[in-house]
Amino acid sequence: MIGSDEVTVEVSGLVKEFPAPGGGTLRAVDGVSFEVHRGEVFGFLGPNGAGKTTTLEIIEGLQEPTSGTASVLGLDSVHDRERMKARIGVQLQAGAYFRYLTLEEILDLFGSFYPKALPPAELLEKVGLLDKRRALVGELSGGQAQRFSIVAAMVNDPEVVFLDEPTTGLDPQARRNLWDLVEFINRQEGKTVVMTTHYMEEAQVLCDRVAIIDHGRIQALDTPLGLVRRLPSAYRIVFQASGGVDEAALARLPGVRRVTPVQLNGFNWELAVRRAAETLPAFVEWSESNGVKVEDVQVIPATLEDVFLTLTGHTLRE
Amino acid sequence: MRKLFVASMKMLYRDRQSLFWALAFPVIFVVVFGLFDFNQAPNVRIDVVGADRAPIGPALVQGLDRVDSFDVHRTASEGIARKDLAEGDVDVVLAVPAQTPAAGPAGIEVLYNRSNFTSNQFALTTIRQVVDGMNLRAAGVSRPALVVEAKAVQAKTVDYYDFILPGLVAMGVMNISIVGMGVAVARYREQRILKRILATPLRPIRFLAAQVLARLVLSVVQSALILGVGVFAFGGHVYGNVLWLFVLVVLGNLVFLNLGFAVAGRASTPDAAQGLGQAVALPMMFFSGVFFPVETLPKVVETLVRYLPLTPLLDAMRTVAVDGKSITATGAQLLQVGIWVLVSFWLATRLFRFSETR
Repeated sequence: MIGSDEVTVEVSGLVKEFPAPGGGTLRAVDGVSFEVHRGEVFGFLGPNGAGKTTTLEIIEGLQEPTSGTASVLGLDSVHDRERMKARIGVQLQAGAYFRYLTLEEILDLFGSFYPKALPPAELLEKVGLLDKRRALVGELSGGQAQRFSIVAAMVNDPEVVFLDEPTTGLDPQARRNLWDLVEFINRQEGKTVVMTTHYMEEAQVLCDRVAIIDHGRIQALDTPLGLVRRLPSAYRIVFQASGGVDEAALARLPGVRRVTPVQLNGFNWELAVRRAAETLPAFVEWSESNGVKVEDVQVIPATLEDVFLTLTGHTLRE
Repeated sequence: MRKLFVASMKMLYRDRQSLFWALAFPVIFVVVFGLFDFNQAPNVRIDVVGADRAPIGPALVQGLDRVDSFDVHRTASEGIARKDLAEGDVDVVLAVPAQTPAAGPAGIEVLYNRSNFTSNQFALTTIRQVVDGMNLRAAGVSRPALVVEAKAVQAKTVDYYDFILPGLVAMGVMNISIVGMGVAVARYREQRILKRILATPLRPIRFLAAQVLARLVLSVVQSALILGVGVFAFGGHVYGNVLWLFVLVVLGNLVFLNLGFAVAGRASTPDAAQGLGQAVALPMMFFSGVFFPVETLPKVVETLVRYLPLTPLLDAMRTVAVDGKSITATGAQLLQVGIWVLVSFWLATRLFRFSETR
């Protein structure tokens, strides 16, 4: 579902300082501003400790900002927080549920905290856990527990769902299942989703717009494609050529930023280019007119990882 | 709120490990104390030397034998008897003179082990009575002019078991509240369940209130079990109104639950809460008179422990359970416990926190 113009979450000049362990203050969030539109999947991409969770918890009304404001559905996260909480769903990072209650009992209990709530069976059906209704959380697999924690955030049929690192610690198969669930919540149920992740594929696959966050600041905010297009070279063309290649001639082709001889899976040349579509026709013409025998060609698009590296100078996992 | 309370009860009931500590553990104490017989008269083993040679020997042995808890043996040589006494095989040695002198009384030598202080007084008094009786008969008095008619003035027999029973009730309640509540809340915080609840419109005080209510119910069940086993299976006594006892349990439990929340707030993990809770509860268990009256402590220590919450609570509980008085007779103690309810509540609100970061 593509976001409308209606603003659902509005954050302006958010700052959060903690007392640092050795004295002084630590700025976990340092002047963050953004808007989330209704129907969007909005993602925060950044490494651990970048300020993602703190920002999310301030919006959810779980922490108070040092300065700046946040509001959801027009309700202030500090002053109108009780009314706001009734209309949002919250999944906490690595959050657990009561050990000695069954899934059905937990959903029933959490539902009783809200003015209106969906029946537990209906919720469990949505995430394929209906047969586990009488199980305890401890009896679920990692993927099932994570699906449960998401559906527990939907007991009140919220308009906005906040997911904090929903796939951290899951195996690739369980992660893909969870992506399907997030898409279902967004497209079928029409809910706005605000999520954090430190997996770039996840942001790329799920998010309509991504805010890249590092050291408490938003470094860039755009659609995944838009972010990649901001790079000076959004694609790499690698090819295998036999015989001599005139590097200078290649560098003159339209859109080519850099020519590098490489040794990569049998390819021996790499062109860093602005747009693949801009360079490819000229490249083919170049090879024919110069009699260069090109054995194989591959076009590799840049990823959010490359964007992150370009923006921050370090990788997501550092 | 009703759902929250029911859910809290379910969680308590299904947490079998905690339930064991709450219910089975104090009952084990009740049973162990019940197996000891604290009222049994001490058994005294007596060696009589020279009973066969002396004329009064047979009469003396016969007289001593009539005493139930005396275990009388004749021994030929004083040497052997002294050796038995030294080794602790007998408690008292009586040496009977072979001849009754014509003039003056015949001395019966009584040797006893100084370290048996519980049995000595009883043994020596009883031996004197037996000898007195023989003297009267020797003097030809068959009907003494005066006899002592002993009648117990106290209508009931309070023994150590009746004293310990309210102590065990208070100990059990204190443990499930300070340690049990502390660990449970610390775990809820560590697993971010408290934070998750904070993310709903539920007022968090309601969640905590439901937890407290469930623990109060558990403490009443626990107390009923301790008193039930103690009274019906081991013949303990509760002389006052049991209902007042439960009122005191609930009141005292408010203090302990507050302390449990304070412990959970101060400790960073459930394990730390377990240790800290024990550090708060154990000294109170030993010093506030669960097992021994606080009057037996050195004066300075006694004065100090009177300020702990468990001491006035136990005082009040024994005033009802042992002295058989009404709760209205415990005004001073109720005031002290009441002050502790307020102090501990203040402490809990100061230290309690919903998440790792304040």
